[in-house]
Amino acid sequence: MELEVISMIITIIYLLIVLFFVVLLVWNLFESQSILEKALGSIVLVMLILRLLLIK
Amino acid sequence: MMKYLNFKLTKKLNIVISSIAIVFVVLIVFFAGKDFKEFSNYEQEFVKGPGVTRVEKFSDYSPKLKGTIGDADIFVLEGEKPGPSLLVIGGTHPNEPSSQLTSVLLLENMKVESGTVYLITEANRSAFSHSHPQEGAVQFYSIETQFGERIFKFGSRATNTNHQWPNPDVYVHKSSGQKLSAQDTRNLNRAYPGSVDGTYSERVAYAITELIKKNNITMTIDLHEASPEYMTINAIVAHQKSIHIASLAFLNMELQDVEIKVEQSPVNLHGLSHRELGDHTDSLVFLAETSNASQGKLRGRFTADLIVTGEDKYYKRAEQLGLLFAPPVHINERVARHTLTIVEIVNAYNTLYNPKGEENKSLIISAIPSYNDIISNGIGYYLHELT
Repeated sequence: MELEVISMIITIIYLLIVLFFVVLLVWNLFESQSILEKALGSIVLVMLILRLLLIK
Repeated sequence: MMKYLNFKLTKKLNIVISSIAIVFVVLIVFFAGKDFKEFSNYEQEFVKGPGVTRVEKFSDYSPKLKGTIGDADIFVLEGEKPGPSLLVIGGTHPNEPSSQLTSVLLLENMKVESGTVYLITEANRSAFSHSHPQEGAVQFYSIETQFGERIFKFGSRATNTNHQWPNPDVYVHKSSGQKLSAQDTRNLNRAYPGSVDGTYSERVAYAITELIKKNNITMTIDLHEASPEYMTINAIVAHQKSIHIASLAFLNMELQDVEIKVEQSPVNLHGLSHRELGDHTDSLVFLAETSNASQGKLRGRFTADLIVTGEDKYYKRAEQLGLLFAPPVHINERVARHTLTIVEIVNAYNTLYNPKGEENKSLIISAIPSYNDIISNGIGYYLHELT
């Protein structure tokens, strides 16, 4: 199989995993009662969204 | 502190705080993303000097690079008379700025009387599109010229993960099968001789290898920098078939009071330009290193000034303690050193391969500022105005 095709499949799987964690984090942001957890979740969310958009 | 942050929230207040957090996240992502994208898309401009006769592309030699960020320019400077040829590779590692600046200095000034010179200013364009993570690196630095400031990008050592990934746990060098560190998967200077169907870095390496093969390039000089605590510094690393030229260049540089070391390329360390290009082509291959504080691990705060001046109080202390192989110096001196290295390698080749000075057997280049001129006038003095 061509290298590009393998990379594309892995990229799609990777992005789905990142999306899954983004959804879980946003969910947790609203569910959690802890301000600290919300702050930490927000920081992690920034990195994950930048990865999800393949910016950084 | 923690107990104050763990008070019970009402449902309404919880939704309000969470929404505010989301808005903050979106704002940070927007501004950070905009900054990263602008840096990534910033196109470095160069002035084609009087010696440039044509411009080729990497995709002319590695077709799969066509339409990708990796399709870099190859500036060709042809003399009126035939003769040997030289390839200067700048910008292999965009966090080693004197590499690119030296090739830009040659591009904008050099003339070729006899022979041909090929210049690459951005060997790994993908690595110029991002910064190395967790280094706190600046994105740009500037050089003062007669026409104002010229801005240059300060990128990463490695290819951008947006252009080459996933990274394997172990990088297996294609042609030798040698296992190397995973971080070298995206290092152009571990990808030689490259592969037409390989990863992005391997395709770029393949373009350079094919450029040398198809044009039967006589000499290749790959310009680099290293941290002051690294052993191979202020040095020429030469393939075993080029070591006699490097030795003569070394003697001539020492006679001009420019300290330099010569090392022979290790036979069993694969993927590097001085090893693979020497093994896989007929070219006489060299790699030159200067001392760059911004690359080192002992430095303090990362600033654009540090890239240019090389001044850092922690490196000064390390130097006083005798911990460095070469003190970090101003970019003018680093570019001057690379320029002199190129000139002396060419002179050594002409002396050894054309001792009688026969016509069309020497590479004759001119309009290159001297070591002392670059240091006293500054590199900016020789850079031209962007149009």
